[in-house]
Amino acid sequence: MTSHIGLMAIFAFFVSTVFGALMRDEPMEQLRFGARLFAAFFFGGIALGWLLYPLPL
Amino acid sequence: MRASAANREQSSVYPYLVCLVAWAVPGAGHLVLGRVGKGLVFLSALTVMFAFGLRLEGRLFPIEISQPLVALAALADLGIGLPFAVARGLGAGGGRVVALTYEYGNAFLIVAGLMNMLVVLDAFDIAQGRK
Repeated sequence: MTSHIGLMAIFAFFVSTVFGALMRDEPMEQLRFGARLFAAFFFGGIALGWLLYPLPL
Repeated sequence: MRASAANREQSSVYPYLVCLVAWAVPGAGHLVLGRVGKGLVFLSALTVMFAFGLRLEGRLFPIEISQPLVALAALADLGIGLPFAVARGLGAGGGRVVALTYEYGNAFLIVAGLMNMLVVLDAFDIAQGRK
């Protein structure tokens, strides 16, 4: 597995799973919080990537 | 009288024992405290994440005081507990700097260790009756 976006998705999945279970007590709340966190990580990562794209690095 | 003193001593030591168990095996603290669902989630997610980091050819950093950032990464790696020792024992976690996924592997290993530290703190709070 060498796809950057795939690895980012897997990383986001693990982190949001742990934080979802850690920060909420009810299963439905955990699922909702985890899903929101996953979306924030995933789409935030893509947005940050595009923001950095014009920079001469 | 003696029994209540022993109970008090036991209750003051108990949260720290839970922390030790929670650090050694991810999620075990929550399992001991009866939070089975959370414990199983932590056990599976953190262990698989750590294994993923090894599979991605990340490095389990040695504690080198002369290189502070490496030492910090080593402390974060150690946060996962026994899986770290098992991986070291099996000769895994050498890291291959030229591998495309090397930095990703490091991120997986370090974050798994750091998140287990948060899980340990959560178990401590539960054992103290704060949650």
